[in-house]
Amino acid sequence: MLRSRKVLTIATTVTAVTALSLGLGACSGGGGNGGSDGQQTVVWSTWGTPQELTRYKEFDAQFMKDHPNIKVVLQPVADYGDYHTKLLTELASGTAPDVFYIGDDQIGKFVNSNVLMPLNELMSSKDSKTKPDDFAQGLLGAAEKDDKILAEPNDSNPDALWYDKVALKKAGITEDPATLASEGKWTTQKYLEMNDKLHAAGLTGSMFWNYWSTHWSWISSQGGKAFDDNGDFVANTDPTSVAAMDTFGKYFQDKTFVVADTLPSGAGADSVFVTHKAGFFIQGRYTIGTVKSAGDPQNYDVAPWPTPDGKAAPTGVAVSYLAINDKTKVKDAAFTFWTNFLSKDGQTFRLKGSGNAVPSIKGADSVVLDGYPDHAQTLLDMRDLGFEDYATEAQVPGLSTDVSDIMLKLYQGKLTGQQALDQSAQLISSKTSGK
Amino acid sequence: MTGSSVGIADAAMTGVPAPGAPRAEAAWRRRDRRWGYVFVAPQMIGMGVFVLVPFIAALVLAFAQWDGLTPLSWVGFDNFKTELTDPLFGRALVNTMLIAVVTVPIGLGLAVIVAVALERLKTRTLYLALFFAPVITSSIAVAMIWQQLFRTDGIISRTIAAAFHVPAPDWLADPHLALIAVCIVTIWSSLGLNVVIFLAGLQNISPSVIEAARIDGAGAVALFFRIRLPLLSPVIFFSSIIAFISSLQTFDIVFVLVANAGPDNATRTIVYHIYDLGFGKTQFGVASAASILLLILTLVITAIQFGFQKRFVHYEEGAA
Repeated sequence: MLRSRKVLTIATTVTAVTALSLGLGACSGGGGNGGSDGQQTVVWSTWGTPQELTRYKEFDAQFMKDHPNIKVVLQPVADYGDYHTKLLTELASGTAPDVFYIGDDQIGKFVNSNVLMPLNELMSSKDSKTKPDDFAQGLLGAAEKDDKILAEPNDSNPDALWYDKVALKKAGITEDPATLASEGKWTTQKYLEMNDKLHAAGLTGSMFWNYWSTHWSWISSQGGKAFDDNGDFVANTDPTSVAAMDTFGKYFQDKTFVVADTLPSGAGADSVFVTHKAGFFIQGRYTIGTVKSAGDPQNYDVAPWPTPDGKAAPTGVAVSYLAINDKTKVKDAAFTFWTNFLSKDGQTFRLKGSGNAVPSIKGADSVVLDGYPDHAQTLLDMRDLGFEDYATEAQVPGLSTDVSDIMLKLYQGKLTGQQALDQSAQLISSKTSGK
Repeated sequence: MTGSSVGIADAAMTGVPAPGAPRAEAAWRRRDRRWGYVFVAPQMIGMGVFVLVPFIAALVLAFAQWDGLTPLSWVGFDNFKTELTDPLFGRALVNTMLIAVVTVPIGLGLAVIVAVALERLKTRTLYLALFFAPVITSSIAVAMIWQQLFRTDGIISRTIAAAFHVPAPDWLADPHLALIAVCIVTIWSSLGLNVVIFLAGLQNISPSVIEAARIDGAGAVALFFRIRLPLLSPVIFFSSIIAFISSLQTFDIVFVLVANAGPDNATRTIVYHIYDLGFGKTQFGVASAASILLLILTLVITAIQFGFQKRFVHYEEGAA
């Protein structure tokens, strides 16, 4: 009887513990801790392709070699779409990593939630390898609030006009966009003429991804204004912006411009571009990987966005941010990792050898100027002149996507430029009122 | 000494309880019951942790505004008002109902046909295994396979293009075709389970009833429509309830098959909408309200189905 009761008690305890550990084990993870041997563990998290994650692991290995008292554990998430969901859940349950990436369309949410460690003091300390002024100031975007810096850009990707010399030649275009840009002659008129010729030759003129940088860059490059200095959306009341979006929309509607997101599966933008079926493809430095893998990178180069007068204008720069968990138990070790990761040497290490981005910090630009593409300096100029997603938009989760959905209707011919901007204004106003 | 006290005294002496006295539970029965609790404990703990707690949390959150990180604030019925006036919720509702209305009858109809066809087949087990394979395959894997099949250069599109001399359809990028693609995958992946259930139901029909109908001169068609189908109706009823509830909860297929419930929200279902509100837009209060609305919808539809039960479901006499 007694034995049976003991067995029963043990069985019940084991069952309960097993069930709970199975259940809660799924939620485990989270930040590092001080080890018994004095070594501190820093857990950090990001998304990325297998190639990018390999580069990060190489960085981790080098960092641990240089800092034997700190162990670094990378918690990767393959898909950007799932990354912030997981991070949010971890933050809510107190199991978030010590250091983590945040996308530029999500940063505002995390900044407003007071879950990120203020970095001003740490960045100004003697141990810092990243002073606030070292970063390209236009890239901070919504990562700064009330003079508090809560994250800094890991690197950047100016949305540039990559062009295919073979496709341009096929369309009978003899002028070179990058050369025109360097001469101050890269005008909107020139660009649209080239696109008309490409379209007439049965080729795609330009391929754009449908996101904030595309519509706001077009408005900005054409002399319009999307948001004013107070963060209010003003494009719908600015005649220049309305006219610019009307022109932009028309070129999509007659299929000269194409929304890359909507291209058929199996015949996506990358394959269209590397098979010389499109003149321009608007995206970041990671295009190098695409064109190099296709085998004829010498046929591609990069140019800035055209402007009415040919003078360069600010355009969108996509970034991701690195932040420190405000609740980290290993503050010093986390900052050591953070500052090394973002430092000139850290960015050089991560971005060398045709890396996927442009440095966000002074002194690392040489990685971009490694000989490819011919006009690589354009990427640096665009970064220095460019802007991050407007804080008003970036601070509301999902707002950027919702605005893009409205713009898609303009590109599909369901809305005029004025209607698309009016709807965007209404949406932004409703989502940001009281904020 | 009263009669009753005599009885109790007698009972104490004989070991037999007096009439009306509470019976002491046998030790073996007590032990069995305790072991029973041990064996159901994992399931009960799982239910508590993963069903009951989240359900209560959703019920509470439906009346609050919460982004997952900052303190929550109570907003009463505002979340419900927000959802009921949200055009995206309406779109999700319509899409979900379309999926349910299309996949349930077609899926069950096909399953009945296949089950009848397999009933007399000697190689039934092989076919059952083939039909059942999608059921035990991860829905993510199923969606990824179909994603490849639905490509413009995939076998389905190329076959259609060649047969009808039309441009190869891009199923997942065309707002008119994307939802049809979701329905096709849903029907295909649930067919095996329904076939197995219906086959069991068909084999449960009493041979004497079939024999009697044959003696009365019933042909194959009459036998099916007047005898076997009505007697299979309880099983069909059960399957229809399960299938309807399952189609109201369509998420994983949509999540993997198309990006962002696209194109242009053509495949946005209620559960995807809830996920998007919660984890995409961090509006956990509104997402919880939407999930409560889904619960109410499910209960209403199930109640309606039970209402139809009296009219369409026939039980074999003595079977119930």
